[in-house]
Amino acid sequence: MMLVRREADDIREIRPRAALGALVVVCAMLVLVVRLYQLQIVRGDEYVAQSLSNFRKSLPVPADRGVIKDRLGRVLVDNRPSFDVYLTPAFCKGKEKDEVMARLATYLKMPPEDVDRMRREYARAAAAPREQLETSKPYLVALDIPRDGVDVLEGHRNELSCVDLIPSPHRAYRVGQSLGHVLGYMSEVTPDELDEHSDEHADYHRGQTIGRRGIERRWEQELRGKDGKEAFAVDAKGRRLEEAMNELLIPPEERLVPASSGNNLVLSLDTALQEAADKAFPGRAGGVIVMEAQTGFILAMISRPSFDPNQMSGRISRTEMARLFSDPLKPMINRVMNENYHPGSTFKVVTSLAALEKGILNRSGTLFCNGGYTLGNHRWRCDKPSGHGALTLKSALQYSCDVFYYTLGDRLGIDPIAEMAHKLGYGQPTGLDLGRDIPGVIPDSQSLIKAEGTYQKYHAINASIGQGDINVTPLQQAVAYAAIGNGGTIFRPQLVRRIESPDGKVLREFAPQIVAKLGIKPQNLALVQAGLTAVVNEPGGTAYRSRLSDVIFAGKTGTAQVVKLGSKQKLDPTQTAYMSRDHAWFAAFAPAVKPEIVVVVVSEHGGWGADAAAPAASKIVEAYFALKKDKEQEIAKASKTLPPVLVSRVAAAPLPPEPQLAVELSTPAPDLQWALQKRRSARSAAVEAQAAEQASAPAAEDANAEADSSREPEEEETAEATAGPVDKEPRSAQPAVAPGTQVARAPLAQPMNEEPRPVPQEPPAAQDPAQNPPVGQATPEPRTQSAPAEPADASPETKAANLAPPAGGN
Amino acid sequence: MSSPFTERKLDNLHWPLVLSTAIICALGIWNLASATRNWVAPLWQAQMFAMAMGAVAIAFFLFVDYRWLSSLAWPGYVLVLAMLLAVVARGKTVLGAKRWLSVGHWQLQPSEFLKISIIVLLARFFAKDETGLRKGQYGLIDLWRPFALVLLPVALVMRQPDLGTALVTSFVAMTMIMFAKVRWQSLTALVLGGAGAAVLAWNKGMKQYQKDRVLTFINPQQYAKKQGYHSIQSVIAVGSGQWSGKGWGEGTQNQLRFLPEQHTDFIFSVWAEEHGFLLSLTLIGLYAFVVLAALDVAAKARDKFGSFLCIGVAGLFFWHAFINIGMVTGILPVVGVPLPLFSYGGSSVIVDLLGIGLLLNVSLRRFMF
Repeated sequence: MMLVRREADDIREIRPRAALGALVVVCAMLVLVVRLYQLQIVRGDEYVAQSLSNFRKSLPVPADRGVIKDRLGRVLVDNRPSFDVYLTPAFCKGKEKDEVMARLATYLKMPPEDVDRMRREYARAAAAPREQLETSKPYLVALDIPRDGVDVLEGHRNELSCVDLIPSPHRAYRVGQSLGHVLGYMSEVTPDELDEHSDEHADYHRGQTIGRRGIERRWEQELRGKDGKEAFAVDAKGRRLEEAMNELLIPPEERLVPASSGNNLVLSLDTALQEAADKAFPGRAGGVIVMEAQTGFILAMISRPSFDPNQMSGRISRTEMARLFSDPLKPMINRVMNENYHPGSTFKVVTSLAALEKGILNRSGTLFCNGGYTLGNHRWRCDKPSGHGALTLKSALQYSCDVFYYTLGDRLGIDPIAEMAHKLGYGQPTGLDLGRDIPGVIPDSQSLIKAEGTYQKYHAINASIGQGDINVTPLQQAVAYAAIGNGGTIFRPQLVRRIESPDGKVLREFAPQIVAKLGIKPQNLALVQAGLTAVVNEPGGTAYRSRLSDVIFAGKTGTAQVVKLGSKQKLDPTQTAYMSRDHAWFAAFAPAVKPEIVVVVVSEHGGWGADAAAPAASKIVEAYFALKKDKEQEIAKASKTLPPVLVSRVAAAPLPPEPQLAVELSTPAPDLQWALQKRRSARSAAVEAQAAEQASAPAAEDANAEADSSREPEEEETAEATAGPVDKEPRSAQPAVAPGTQVARAPLAQPMNEEPRPVPQEPPAAQDPAQNPPVGQATPEPRTQSAPAEPADASPETKAANLAPPAGGN
Repeated sequence: MSSPFTERKLDNLHWPLVLSTAIICALGIWNLASATRNWVAPLWQAQMFAMAMGAVAIAFFLFVDYRWLSSLAWPGYVLVLAMLLAVVARGKTVLGAKRWLSVGHWQLQPSEFLKISIIVLLARFFAKDETGLRKGQYGLIDLWRPFALVLLPVALVMRQPDLGTALVTSFVAMTMIMFAKVRWQSLTALVLGGAGAAVLAWNKGMKQYQKDRVLTFINPQQYAKKQGYHSIQSVIAVGSGQWSGKGWGEGTQNQLRFLPEQHTDFIFSVWAEEHGFLLSLTLIGLYAFVVLAALDVAAKARDKFGSFLCIGVAGLFFWHAFINIGMVTGILPVVGVPLPLFSYGGSSVIVDLLGIGLLLNVSLRRFMF
């Protein structure tokens, strides 16, 4: 009993401790309760959001990039279905990983560097913090694998549990290398670009591609479209849940946000002409440009050597890339707009115009060539050692006499030459919508004093024949020669005709943009035009051998000396011989009067311009008119045999109606007609052309002809093509509206807005940019006001009347 | 020995304890069914079977006077020690830890039985008359035996490695020592010694993953990337339960397996996510009730042995519940401690129910002199 009592006492001693213990227990549990309150009530919303984002994964749905077409709607670039291979690290680990990677490398015949990259990416994902679920994110192993690769992977599906084949659109360049520089290519956004956080890359993410160079880069925002988004539920391993679960967890409106395709671009290029130019151009390196002389739209553009956009957009190997960038011929440079060349004799037109405008030379004035020009103790030689004798400006151009121009240069000094060059667009970027082009170099006395500390007469003498420090781009040449040919309008060269929505609606139409009017006396321009015509069409002309039987065109040869390369370049002898040959130039416009196109060819190290460049230009001119004639015949044939609707289709070529086509085709036989037409008044010409139009191509689309009016300042445009059911709106109320004056046209087009025309099948407003001129587009303003605005009736026709008549036919 | 199932004695059964335990068990099964909803193996059935076994064990045990256990303390302790050594020798390895012993069809976790064995052994130790001691209080020297007896098996458990069980067992032992008459100087020395042991354990005994867990807890920012995943996902699960939860079987953290170990260590997160704040509060209340009831029974027990048994069981439930819930709500480091009667695990469930059985037995016989 005693013991029990003692124990009872002891237990009594336990009681206060038990009470204390109870207090501790209650406090501890309260701590838990407070913590729960904090998590579940105070911060509950935050954790709900986190738990949602845990299982919600969203993948971008890639948008189809816009299609790029040529002026006739022929597809240059589109997208083709393809498969990319992705690997999800979370689903194969340890040994399995190595097996899968080894299999992939074999099946896909992956080059070692790609295998390395695959392993590196895996290691990167594995090393990332676990809660970022990096290992659950599939990463790209191989881009755009070939068809048989797809079959092999499908066949071995079971061995490759962590490998996914993802269908994705890839860029398909339908034309070869010749358009590489124009179109550009696509490649993945680099991590550095993403890190920049610049506006340009603001909404790009890893794995996306972005346009590089050319059209792809310049029009990235239009072409790109907007990626959609697909949201779905995943479990903790990042695996997609089954559909029933998915529908339970993700609200329907968030499951799929469809992608919207990018806009299509219609270029001014003519694929057929581009091919012809590519074939005609003989050189290993150089450039060709064909541009509409009356609008500035580019028809063909070649920079050789080039690159293959398909190869560049695919998985190009590093060595291949290095080869492209280290090639001494520099295939990655767009020579047409980003390479400096001495213009050589093609620059004589500038010296000629400077001299004419300064009044130190006139139509009948002559200078004597005795085979050389001496200044101080230096003698510049002429190509003809015995001398050309007494020369007028026309014959000086025709024979390309250097002494004539040395004399002019000496008398003028360099500044008037530089001033005229700047007027013609040299020494400044042309503003082509293809990214930046370089300005070239046009030295004047001040810049020479600044650079060399002195200005001497020999500077002017060298400049007079386009040597010395003068550097130009082929594109500048095209702009300048177009201005000389078209009566003095400097156009901004353009490549994009219009932007269309994916369903073919015209979103934006590009009108010709006039940079400046030269303000050169028409008779002076005519003298130079006559000289250039003689170059090709009169015996003794430097390009006489390149004349064409049915087209009279004008042009100027050039042979630009290349700075002799030092031995330090370490080129082998054959290379040295090549590299030290002269560059061959030919700049031409055709026809000689009221030209439609300007063609510039530069063949690097091609030697004589007359041999290496002029024949190519001649072939291109020939091809241009042949293509035009073909199309005309096609229409004529179609109009005889097919119902009007189909004819209009032939005329309009593939899908989107081509505005210019109807007019081009309705032009009567091209060349010698010009001589007749220029004597007619604008009004009567329009009426005639309209009649001819209605007779020959009654089915040409109305909308086409009309859209054309915003661009093509020629009298034919007013010829209304009247397709069957389309009503005849007051189009004829504005015949022969002063062509060539864009500013005047827009107001005239305004009244037509009042009554939309019912064009069957297509919404008229969208079809007819002439009625709805895009703001800021339809009425280009001259960039410089130095030239007085021409009166409305000073059309090319009337100006042409002032010109010296072209030399007689061939 | 008279039957406990006479009318009077049934009245003496601690019915509130029986009821709250039954409720916890029922909720535990229900919750486990949700946590393992899409699993092939119906774990909740196995859990129910373990609970039934535990209940039967309690029922038989009620016929026996708990004082008889005192004589079983040593044999039980030796048996558990032998099993722990057997685990070292030929245990089953799961997820890098050697904790289980296959006995025929069953997987036993001896470290769980260690807990109850330690409780009985220490109760026997502290039930002895303290008249031989100076001033009737325990000094450090007097405590060397219980320490040695606890530390030996705990060291084996640490080797498995099973930091959670080792920790909880130590805490339970410490709790019982706190309730014995120990000199305050000795308590201070104990605390210092504990700190020293912790440092030693840190440098010698602990695995890197265990260290990481502690470091994660001390400095979550730095370690969040690697080790914090469990903790973060658990906190998200708990927090997203809000007032009333997402509903049974609807917890995305649980069902989509963002929660790690959602059927064992993180079972409370499932409960909190699917049933929200109010029912979580209820569950905490139930555990608090069991612990307080155990302390109450301890205070009213008829002898010191029974009293210390109850204190041990109170410690068992308290430390498990507190550490587990503290861990899943992110206020304690992640150590593998099961939530009594909620976490899946047969050994754990049987041991917890045996503990409840002890309480009932002591409570039943508090008036028997």
